[in-house]
Amino acid sequence: MSGRPPPDVDLPAGPTRAARAVTSKLLELWRARELLVQLVRKELKVRYRNSALGFLWSMLTPVLMTAVFSVVFTLIVRIPVDDFPAFFISGYLLWQFFQNSCQGAIHSIVGNGDLVRKVYFPREVLPLSHVFAQLIHLLLALLVLSPYLLYTRGVGVLLYLPVTLAAIALLTLFASGMAMWFAGVNVIFRDLQELFVVIFQVWFYATPVIYPLALVSSMLEGGRFAWIETLLVINPTTWFVELFRVGLFGPVTATGDAARPLADGPPGLPDLATLGGAAAWAVAALVFGYVVFLRRARTFAKEV
Amino acid sequence: MGERPDRAVTDPRPGSERRTLHQLAGVEPDPTRPAIVAERLTESFRLYHERPTGIKERLYRLRRSSFTDFHALEDVSFAVEHGESVAVIGHNGSGKSTLLKLLARILPPDQGTVMTNGRVASLLELGAGFHGDLTGRENIYLNGAILGLSRAAIDERFDEIVDFAGVRHLLDTAVRTYSSGLYVRLGFAIAVTVDPDILLVDEVLAVGDVEFQERSFERMRSFRDAGKTFMLVSHDLEGVRELCDRAIVLDRGRVAFDGRVNEGVALYRQRIAAAATPAAPRTSDVRRVRIEEVSLLGADNAPVAEVPPSAGVTLRVKLHALEPVEACSVGFTVSRADGTHLYEAHTTWQGLGIGPLNTGDEATVDVRFVANLLAGRYAVAVSVTDTTGRETWAVQAEAARFGVQPAAGGAGLVNLAARASVSEGPARRLGDAPGPGPIPLPRLQRRRNRG
Repeated sequence: MSGRPPPDVDLPAGPTRAARAVTSKLLELWRARELLVQLVRKELKVRYRNSALGFLWSMLTPVLMTAVFSVVFTLIVRIPVDDFPAFFISGYLLWQFFQNSCQGAIHSIVGNGDLVRKVYFPREVLPLSHVFAQLIHLLLALLVLSPYLLYTRGVGVLLYLPVTLAAIALLTLFASGMAMWFAGVNVIFRDLQELFVVIFQVWFYATPVIYPLALVSSMLEGGRFAWIETLLVINPTTWFVELFRVGLFGPVTATGDAARPLADGPPGLPDLATLGGAAAWAVAALVFGYVVFLRRARTFAKEV
Repeated sequence: MGERPDRAVTDPRPGSERRTLHQLAGVEPDPTRPAIVAERLTESFRLYHERPTGIKERLYRLRRSSFTDFHALEDVSFAVEHGESVAVIGHNGSGKSTLLKLLARILPPDQGTVMTNGRVASLLELGAGFHGDLTGRENIYLNGAILGLSRAAIDERFDEIVDFAGVRHLLDTAVRTYSSGLYVRLGFAIAVTVDPDILLVDEVLAVGDVEFQERSFERMRSFRDAGKTFMLVSHDLEGVRELCDRAIVLDRGRVAFDGRVNEGVALYRQRIAAAATPAAPRTSDVRRVRIEEVSLLGADNAPVAEVPPSAGVTLRVKLHALEPVEACSVGFTVSRADGTHLYEAHTTWQGLGIGPLNTGDEATVDVRFVANLLAGRYAVAVSVTDTTGRETWAVQAEAARFGVQPAAGGAGLVNLAARASVSEGPARRLGDAPGPGPIPLPRLQRRRNRG
């Protein structure tokens, strides 16, 4: 046979080859953008197709959750934040986006066995379609809830919109990485989908969504449980929620006054450490999740 | 996509010509290279007797996970030039679908390399990725995107797809309400809209009603005539003979034959017939015997091209041994002009082996048979195998042809020599029978008209 060897054989190993592999992978993903758009449309359409309220559910869920949590954490157990509903929304919207993205993505390869076994396409579009569908839900929910936030938190909400959007963008990267990781690992390790509920329950309470981070520091500082604060700071989602909340709700700080332990300001700019921390986590999760996913993706067709 | 076609990327290997970015990305075929090159492909599947996928099973089976490795493909190499149409045939489980999946990049090869040159589209399942809750219209766009079509491309061919599938009245109905036939038609209509350089098709033409099969067959033919490359996995050997130039016969994951389609189909048919003795994997193309000459002789031992019905015919095969041979078997098949397999026999089936032969020895084998056939043209294929039928040493696909003259009083395919009588009740003798010739089957006639 006179055929020359395929182009990627005989290349010097090392950076050149790696760079070419990355380029061709990204080029391929770019060519699959139409598929990604169609899958996102499918997610949005199919989800509420046979329900009476349809798309409204994506906005109603955070409203109902906010009502429930507000009753519990202002009237029954008091969390000393002024304006708890706005405080809760400004963390919960982001959390909901993250959790729903991963929840959809974890089944995306296993649940599409037919497609994976019979058609070639870059497999990462399956988990990514869930992330982007949830991103659209988030943006719509934000749009619906923004009048309330404007009313309680002032025009700063609009003024610091870029901060909010930056937080959403960074969390999208982070969620994409995690979604790919969950989707890829679940193929060989199906227990993950059972563990998922527990993992996310713990993760939710380990993220300052229903309570402010400043409250934890002021309550546990120097005590036996100070390590809990360390844990919260290590938790990557803390960084995104904090960043999001600064732009949408405003910074919450400890006063040191026992009668009124917390004070909050109007929406403002985040400090660079928060922004940098969130960005670092976003890039790290994306790279890690994508690499794990791609290594697994080669044999998906055999394993699903 | 923004690349300019004139922009070239330098290949780091010395002495190789420049290729454009489009060619590197596999968007445009590079005519100087073959369309498909497969080198030493090996693929195995690990068959777990109870697949461990959870923690408990993993811990439990840590030491004694029970599985067997099954080689779907072993050391498969070939190259396909641009514009070639290749059929992949073989028994179920011979690795045909796995081969297509490797070429389509759905599976990575365990060993070996696959290189494709140009846009590849694979049709391994029709309607894969349809979502039951979406309407026909929405599914056309979704399925098109899965197959790599841009939105603009689907917009452009939308009407064509809808008309080909015949679903215009159901466009805004959820596809879960479609009949399975309609489902498949829509899938096919979308799939053929993809205009690739290389098309990989797995057995999908066998679905749908007869009319739809004819149309899809037509579509494949026009694809071939447009000079595109395609590989087709099929059990429809007649369809394969019409569509393809070349056949690759797979047997238990190995290439048993790679060559002209007629020879490949003939060989595969013999393998089916010889399935009573299970075939062992062949190690290589062994050619230990050459078929020197094949002739058909009539009653007077003179060569004939046309025989009267039910005449005795002798098939004379001259062999030439290329290597010392302990014993071999000569087999022949008779098939109709459209390829229908009519008869097959091997000397071993009658307890006769030919040999021993030394290198250079010649042998002549006479096979006498009665042409109990009705009028038409028939072809004879001859093969030489070892006595177990496992190794084929020589094959000649159309070794001889003969015609059978029209006979009175029968129609169809074979001459059952019917004789009528009335055993009870009155009867009368009519005038001379008009002697109708055989009536070709409708399908045969259609094929002839098309050809």
